Amino acid sequence: MKYAFYPGCVSRGGCPELYPSAVKVADKLGIELDELKSVGCTGAGVLPQNISDPINARTFAKAEQLGLPIMTICSTCTGVMAQANYRLKEDPNYRDTINRQYLADEGLEYKGTTEVKHLLWVLFEDYGIERLQSLIQRPLKGLKVSPFYGCYLRRPPEAITPTKELNRRKAYLDELIGILGAEMADISGKGKCCGFPILSANEENSLAMVAKHTGESKENGADFMVTPCPLCHLNLDGNQARAEAQTGKEIDLPILHLPQFVGLALGFDSSEMNLKRHIVSTTNVESKVSMMS
Amino acid sequence: MQVTFKVYRKDPEKDGKPGRSNYTVDVPDGATVLESLFKIRDEMDPSLAFRCSCLRGHCGDCMVRVNGSSRLTCTAKVSAYTQKGPEISLDPLRNVPVIKDLVFDWDAFMWNKIKEVKPWLEAEETSANGENSVSDAAMQDIRKVMSCFYCGMCDEGCTVLPVDFNFLGPAALTKAYRLAFDPRNKDSREQVKIVEKPKGIWDCVHCYEADEHCPRGIEPTKRIVALRDRAFNSGITHEAVARHHESFAASVKESGWLDEGRLAVESEGLTNVKGLMKLLPTAAKALSRGKAPIPYMHSKRPDADKIKKIFEKAEQEEK
Repeated sequence: MKYAFYPGCVSRGGCPELYPSAVKVADKLGIELDELKSVGCTGAGVLPQNISDPINARTFAKAEQLGLPIMTICSTCTGVMAQANYRLKEDPNYRDTINRQYLADEGLEYKGTTEVKHLLWVLFEDYGIERLQSLIQRPLKGLKVSPFYGCYLRRPPEAITPTKELNRRKAYLDELIGILGAEMADISGKGKCCGFPILSANEENSLAMVAKHTGESKENGADFMVTPCPLCHLNLDGNQARAEAQTGKEIDLPILHLPQFVGLALGFDSSEMNLKRHIVSTTNVESKVSMMS
Repeated sequence: MQVTFKVYRKDPEKDGKPGRSNYTVDVPDGATVLESLFKIRDEMDPSLAFRCSCLRGHCGDCMVRVNGSSRLTCTAKVSAYTQKGPEISLDPLRNVPVIKDLVFDWDAFMWNKIKEVKPWLEAEETSANGENSVSDAAMQDIRKVMSCFYCGMCDEGCTVLPVDFNFLGPAALTKAYRLAFDPRNKDSREQVKIVEKPKGIWDCVHCYEADEHCPRGIEPTKRIVALRDRAFNSGITHEAVARHHESFAASVKESGWLDEGRLAVESEGLTNVKGLMKLLPTAAKALSRGKAPIPYMHSKRPDADKIKKIFEKAEQEEK
């Protein structure tokens, strides 16, 4: 099982704990990663489509040359690429234009066959839950966990949940919490926005969203929240103290990346999953996990 | 089938306090929620207030929350909401001033915001006969948007409105798209500028909830993204957003990927001491944990020159 790995900027920039955790987890699971290095940023929903679609088409063409599907560890990368891929696959004329105008210079062509999948989807759709279960060394019993997906891993439907069967993607994280032995601390906003995209335009609203989601999770008794999106992590973890100051309410909720959560269940130590690098202290989670070992 | 409707009540002429009335009604197979409300009002409680107009899912007037989710009561079948038990809750929309019972303030919810986007067209030129004809093909892009019947379902699904009721919301912003992208508009850039002001397009988180809620498939989020792309390509006028987007674009253009440290600093503005100071506590904490990327210490991706070429070509094409 092999993927063209697209780690994204944040997994080595603002969240440098994510990249090594994901690589260790993939290695333990026996998922081979061939990292795409000579490709560009997806645009993250900031760059306009007329610029980001050709850059993403180039990435898809590179993966196509390798004959591999793309695996990401970021909801935003997945969403932006899946939307671009939808446009390029559905409209051959559009694909031809992009190929001719932007990729032909390099002798590249995107034929429209590359698939883009988040690690979360890979676990359920390609790897198999039974196989994952067989590798669990530390069921996370006694831990209460809230899921937080990141908008781009749930919508829009034509790119993310194109069939009735794939509508299940909206519940993968919920299911995974139980599969890894933990208990769910559900929150109403798990599929909503974390506020990160409007941090520049309207910081107050952005922080209000952080306070809403993390506060509800804490009230529901969660030990931590897990997210497959490092941009959500940047806001929910990195700006939680500012959200607390804005609302005048203490929250103090650790936010774990998806690979860290899986890694703990696979038997990795908290230090191997780089929990110490987070802004919100993970000490309570670490001590609970160490008691399980 | 016997169904109990648990209906939100509030009467400004009494004490004005919110409460709930329960009505158990015998409803026939295939009945809609609205038909049940008529039955309650006609046979049990003439004081119950709710809105409706077209009775066929075309006007949006009857929207309330059915078991917590916004629905048009005239098309919502009772049987679809009783699978877990013969009880249905009916509430007005969230975060909207309630006038009486299920009747809420539509002006505050949507119409005042529609007015803010200058919801009329100033055409390029008018021919001698007073008509301004356009080809059918030129109207294709906005035809779908023109089918909006202002039901407000997109606003109800919006992620931003629950934290900030003053956000213009997807319905008004979609109206702005309909006008900005109308081929007859004599100054579509001006139309985009109107929605670039605070509480407009840049406050949208583009979470695509609105697209899931729209009963007409108009895809409001995609329209808002198109307005943003147009603003990006013609010079963003919102200062903070412009700084952020310019920095983002410059780092991808120069190195192929994002320099997050640089983005954080440049988004605040290099001369904005107050803004930069605000970043310090988190930045110091992050640095002490080996987490924050150091601005401008960013290496180029292999093939960064090829990304730059694509970038420049796309910018050229747009002009």
